[in-house]
Amino acid sequence: MFNNLFKKLFKKIEIHTIRTKLIISFLIIGLLPILLSGLLSFNIYRGAINDRISAYSQEMVNRMERDLEDYISEIETFLSREQDFYINQFIKLTQANDFRNNRKYAFRIWEDFNNLKQMKPGLEDIAITFQDGRRISSYGIYNIDLENFRDRMYSDSSGEISFTSPYTNYLQQEVITIVSSYYPEIAEENVLISADIDLDVLANLTDFNLGEKSYFLIADQNGDIIYHPNQELIGQRSLLYNAGFPDRKLNLNGEQYILTSTFSYATGWYIISMASADEVEAELNYITDITLYMTLVVLLIIILLTIYLSSSLSRPIQKLQELTHRASENDLSVKIDTSGNDEIAELGQSFNKMIRRINKLMEQNVREQKLLRKLEMESLDNQIKPHFIYNTLDLIIGLLENKDFDRATHMVEALGKFFRLSLSHGKEMVLIRNEIKHVKNYLFIQQFRHGEEYEYIIDVEDHEIMDKHIPKLILQPIVENAIYHGLLPSEKKGLVIVKGYRENKNIYFKIVDNGVGIPAAKVDEINKILTGRLETDDQQKYFGLRNVDQRLKLMYGGSSGLRVESDQGEKTTVIIRIDQRGGK
Amino acid sequence: MFAQKNRLLFVLVVIIILPALLTSAAGAENIQANEDDEEITIAYVPRSLDNPIFLDAFEHAQEKAIDLGINIEWVAPFVYNEEAQIKIIESLIVRKVDGMVVSVNNTPEYIDVINRAIEAGIAVATFDADAPDSKRLFHIGIDNYEAGRVTAEGLLKVLENKNIDYRQQEKNLDTMIMTGVRGALNLDSRIEGFLDTVEATNIRVQDIVENQDSVNLSVELLEQYLQQNPDIDIIFFVGGWPFYVPAEALPNFQKWAANGGVAVGIDIFYDALLLQERGLLQYLVGQDMATMGSKGLSTLYNYIKYGVEPREYIETGVEVADDDNLERLLQTHRPWRVK
Repeated sequence: MFNNLFKKLFKKIEIHTIRTKLIISFLIIGLLPILLSGLLSFNIYRGAINDRISAYSQEMVNRMERDLEDYISEIETFLSREQDFYINQFIKLTQANDFRNNRKYAFRIWEDFNNLKQMKPGLEDIAITFQDGRRISSYGIYNIDLENFRDRMYSDSSGEISFTSPYTNYLQQEVITIVSSYYPEIAEENVLISADIDLDVLANLTDFNLGEKSYFLIADQNGDIIYHPNQELIGQRSLLYNAGFPDRKLNLNGEQYILTSTFSYATGWYIISMASADEVEAELNYITDITLYMTLVVLLIIILLTIYLSSSLSRPIQKLQELTHRASENDLSVKIDTSGNDEIAELGQSFNKMIRRINKLMEQNVREQKLLRKLEMESLDNQIKPHFIYNTLDLIIGLLENKDFDRATHMVEALGKFFRLSLSHGKEMVLIRNEIKHVKNYLFIQQFRHGEEYEYIIDVEDHEIMDKHIPKLILQPIVENAIYHGLLPSEKKGLVIVKGYRENKNIYFKIVDNGVGIPAAKVDEINKILTGRLETDDQQKYFGLRNVDQRLKLMYGGSSGLRVESDQGEKTTVIIRIDQRGGK
Repeated sequence: MFAQKNRLLFVLVVIIILPALLTSAAGAENIQANEDDEEITIAYVPRSLDNPIFLDAFEHAQEKAIDLGINIEWVAPFVYNEEAQIKIIESLIVRKVDGMVVSVNNTPEYIDVINRAIEAGIAVATFDADAPDSKRLFHIGIDNYEAGRVTAEGLLKVLENKNIDYRQQEKNLDTMIMTGVRGALNLDSRIEGFLDTVEATNIRVQDIVENQDSVNLSVELLEQYLQQNPDIDIIFFVGGWPFYVPAEALPNFQKWAANGGVAVGIDIFYDALLLQERGLLQYLVGQDMATMGSKGLSTLYNYIKYGVEPREYIETGVEVADDDNLERLLQTHRPWRVK
């Protein structure tokens, strides 16, 4: 069943033209390496992309950790100041409610804090907070709920600095606060020095483009989210928390992510990268698309090149094929314009040469056919000699006058057959059987005309040749010569033998008469003329022999023709050789 | 018998009613205590923290808050910025303070935020600069038109003392006015008062320079202006922005004053008096910022606590600084900068 299927399939895509074969070959040769190398490169690239994404994510979180720690440490440096004269004075005078003297310190602190804010982007507010919640900050003096504030605080690993979870500060900004205790030398009350950091700073620190779905987040040691691009999640326990944030691939809300994290000991925070695996795949898809498009482009180029090359190669062949076809349809005016010196050009030249040769042969053939027709006509003319017809008709009239109706009937019948066979419906070739009948009719008529002065014998040994075709009017002219030039001049009882046989695939006829014979010199001259070794300007000289000989040569080639042998006073033999291998 | 019966009835009534009365009295005390326990928070929002003119108000508002037993907040952007100031007022609305006293402009943005605060149940008053088109409760400050007029009169007096004829029509006295921003009602009123007073003189205003309520910008603009216009005759400072820097920081101004330039202005504080002492300023008119701080707070407190309706405008009056009282004023005003 499969065999049939494949056969049908292959039959459907059967390749008929050289051009198609060339195109397919070139395509296979061109495409296979490209596809293989493309596939190999893609796989290598895929692995490299995955490695690169992981490495990039790790590098990003490490860099963020460094940036974050640098940022926080600068603020910590400010918060961890030893003793500040202005702050100390302010605390002391505030406790004493000495507003008159304190206002210049308040002004100085506002100025200092605002200068610091200017220098440190993302620093929203700097404040000193008293135990009762009174606070002086870069925005002035106000009160906060200290208890609530302390609830948000948790210490770092050193215990000297505290952080708060994200919250909305006095100015309704989303911040985290870094807090340090300050113990003024001149007052008993310790205060808190704090810095509010805008969550946008964390957003800026994590503003690395990993992709549209990929993101970074920051969480504290308990997994509570400090920063997340989705602000609604800030403050909530992260779903990713699993005794830390170990690196892994995970599924979150139906999306695959590559989680990479690092831990900042300075802040006690985890910095977590969530690279969307889908986007990595998307990047790979992008690469796949690029590879595909490049392959298509290369394919297109290869196809165009292939078409160009195959056309270049096959066009002369197609032209040759077309011209050959036209030549086969008898248009022998065709000629290929050959250029170059490759095999196809040589083939074209050979084709042109062949066509020229065929044209020559055709011309020759036409000439020969014309000659043949002419010879046939001449032979036929020779058949219908008026005195032959008149004598025969006179003879028939004599028989009728003598009331010898039987013989008259035979004569009329023989004469009719003679002419019918002579014309043979215009056919060029006749069966040997009919040619023999024709000779018999002729001999019957001539024998009766000449008073039965001679006998004739028709001897065809090989009856198979009777059904072979030969040019018509081959035997009769020779027999006529035998009668008129051999027997009639002779005094003795004449005999004409017409013998047919086959030898070495040649058909031979021997017409032998026991007439006066021909002088040897003349025989030699006749044979030289017949073989073309001797030219003669007299077209009527040996007309019958030459006509038959030329026709045979035209029909069967140079090996066919006549040869004359004679023993003067004894006999003359004309041998007709028909070489069937040279027949048309 | 009747007396005994009445005595018994009285005792019974006393036994029944007394605990009820005692309980009722205790309840009333608790209510009073609760009312006292409810801390009132009033926030002052000056135009900026970097303008020391407000420090008097800051100081006296704090002292008054101690007296009243309330919380006071003093919040503003360090440098004047309308958007930042409005944001601070909005944060006070969110925090539901009981009242606020703000120094603003009479512009739609300020009017809107004040009205929103009032709709949120917060009592709002203005000080220093008013927004009368808002629903604010009252304004405390000076009559700014009057301040401008007094300043102009002081200027004319200075010109007379310097034998400069301000009535001579052949030669004009070219004047530059430096203000904060056009549209600030208090500043515009001062200018109006000034111009109305000098209308019949040959004092002609050449330029009005706006410093965007910025001390630093005011210094820069003043120096730049005098560099380009050293022949200006008079400068009227509608506020005291450039007076906070020492004279050494104003070389062009020093040179111009030494060449006979006459400068008058509004706002009296220690540094301005020092400049006047050095001859850079000839006449100053001051606002009573201390009263704006203390009285503004107490008025709003009384409204919040006791529902006492204030007058819509509370005039705090002006003081002047001229050669006659300069020495005394230098004794009473205190430097604001930490030395």
